[in-house]
Amino acid sequence: MRYSPALLEHFLNPRNAGLMREPDGVGAEEYEGCGDLARFFLRVRDGRVSEVRFQTYGCGPTIAAASAASERVRGRAVEELLSLKPQEVEDAVDGLPDDRKHAADVVAGALRAAALDALRRQRGGVC
Amino acid sequence: MSRRVYLDHNASTPVHPEVLAEMLPYFSESFGNPSSVHGFGREARAGLDTARERVARFLGVAPEELVFTSGGTESDNLGVKGLAWARGRGHLITSKIEHHAVLRACQWLESQGFAVTYLGVDEHGVIDPDEVKRAIRPDTIGISIMHANSEVGTIQPVAAIGAIAREHGVPFHVDAVQTFGKLDIDVAAAHIDLLSFSAHKIYGPKGVAGLWIRKGTKMVSVQHGGEHERRRRAGTENVPGIVGLGKAVEVRGREMHDERRRVTALRDRLWEGIRARVPDARLNGHPTERLPGTANISYRGVESESVVLGLDLKGIGVSAGSACTSGSVEPSYVLVAMGVPLDWAMGAVRHSLGRSTTAEDVDYVIESVEPTVRKLRAAMPVGAA
Repeated sequence: MRYSPALLEHFLNPRNAGLMREPDGVGAEEYEGCGDLARFFLRVRDGRVSEVRFQTYGCGPTIAAASAASERVRGRAVEELLSLKPQEVEDAVDGLPDDRKHAADVVAGALRAAALDALRRQRGGVC
Repeated sequence: MSRRVYLDHNASTPVHPEVLAEMLPYFSESFGNPSSVHGFGREARAGLDTARERVARFLGVAPEELVFTSGGTESDNLGVKGLAWARGRGHLITSKIEHHAVLRACQWLESQGFAVTYLGVDEHGVIDPDEVKRAIRPDTIGISIMHANSEVGTIQPVAAIGAIAREHGVPFHVDAVQTFGKLDIDVAAAHIDLLSFSAHKIYGPKGVAGLWIRKGTKMVSVQHGGEHERRRRAGTENVPGIVGLGKAVEVRGREMHDERRRVTALRDRLWEGIRARVPDARLNGHPTERLPGTANISYRGVESESVVLGLDLKGIGVSAGSACTSGSVEPSYVLVAMGVPLDWAMGAVRHSLGRSTTAEDVDYVIESVEPTVRKLRAAMPVGAA
C-alpha cells in the first residue's frame, strides 16, 4: 500500500468535514493544474481556533490531509496558522508519496487563507 | 479486509488454469529455441505451430498470416507503422479515441512527414462510417480503427468501415485487443486487413500478443534481426507465452458465447443497482453496443481516484477514468472526445467484469459504491467540480 495507515484512516473517516454556519474566517486554495481544492472554515475564540470545518474536492490524500490538519490546528493561535507549512500537514498523515505532495500544499494554503481572513475580519479589514 | 472483487478485466485477467498447465513444460522441459534444428528446438517449434494453428482456426485465417509479438502495443505499432513505412508517404485515418499505442504511433508518423486525420465520435463514442468515407483522400494509405474502446466499451461499426476501406482500396487495421476472444470477429466479412490481439485480456499470459496480416498486404517490419515470423518480426519467439495464447484462444472458443450472455447480464445488474442507489450517476458509452463486461460510470462532482481508493479499501479493484500524476489531472481523452462534461468526466470509474465475476460480487460492489460516493460528496465543496 502506498499510503500510510494514518492517511487511509482519515480518508475513510474524515473528521470535521462539511460546512460551518457564520464562520469567523474562510479560506480556499486550489492546486493549479490539478483541480484539487480545499476550503476551510474557522471559528475563533480569544484569538484561538475553537472549531474547524472543511470541504475538499480531490484525490484521497487531499481529503485525508484536510481531515488530519483540521484536528491539528484546533486550539492553536490564529496568527500561528499564517505560517503553517505543508510539511506539518504532511506529517499529520505520516507522509505523502512524491506525486501527492500537492495534497499538503493545498490544505496548508487553504488554512493560511482562512487564518488571514479571520484576522482581517477581527481587525476590521486591516491586516 | 476479507472479500476481494476484481472488476478490472479490461486491464488484465488472471491466467486460466488450463492455460498455465499447458505453458509450464515449455519453461524447463521443452525449452529449446524453435529455430534450432535439433530435437529440443523441434519440440518448441511444435508448441509454436500448435498455438499458431489454434489462433488461425479461431479467426478463420491461414496460420502463416499470423505474427506473434510481445504485446498489443507492439502489434499496433507494427500494424500502423508497417503499413505506413511500406508506402513511404501518405495519409492515415484513425480516431481520437484509439489506444495510445495507435495514437502515439500515428503522432510519431506525423513527425516523419505522414498526414493523419483523427476522427471524432458521437456522445456514445461511436465513429460514423460516413466520416471515414469523407476523410479518404487520393493519398490515403491506411485506416486504423479499434473494434471496441477499452475505457467505455463502445463497439465500433468495423464492418461498415471495412466495406468503405475495401471500396477505396485502402488497407484496414483493427485494434481488437479488447474484443478478441470476447466477441465474434469475421475478418473476411468486415474486410479487415490487419488485426491486433493480445493474450492477457483473455486469461492468457502477459507479454504475448499477435498481429494478423492478410496475405498480400504490403508491409515492412519494424524490428530487424533474425528471420523469425517469416521475416516480419525479428526475435526468438516467446514460446511458453505463445503456447499460452494458443490455449487461451482454444478455451475462449469453448466459453466465450455463454460467458458473453452471463457477463452482459451482470454488467447490466451492476449499472441498474448503482443507478437505483446513487444519485447523479451516469453510464458512459453506448447503452447496448458495448463490451459485455464494461460499465463506465461517472459520479458527478467526485474525483474518480478517490472512488477507486475508497473501493480499494473495501477490497474492490476498479480503475479511474482520470489520473492524477505529479500534481496534474486530466480527464479521460475518450470521455472528452465524447463530449462528456468535465464535472462528470472527472468522476468516471471503469468497472470491467469477467469470467470469475459473480452476482454476489456485483451486489457487494453496488453496496460499497453508495456509501463511498456519499462520503466523498459530503466533503465536497458545492460547485467545486
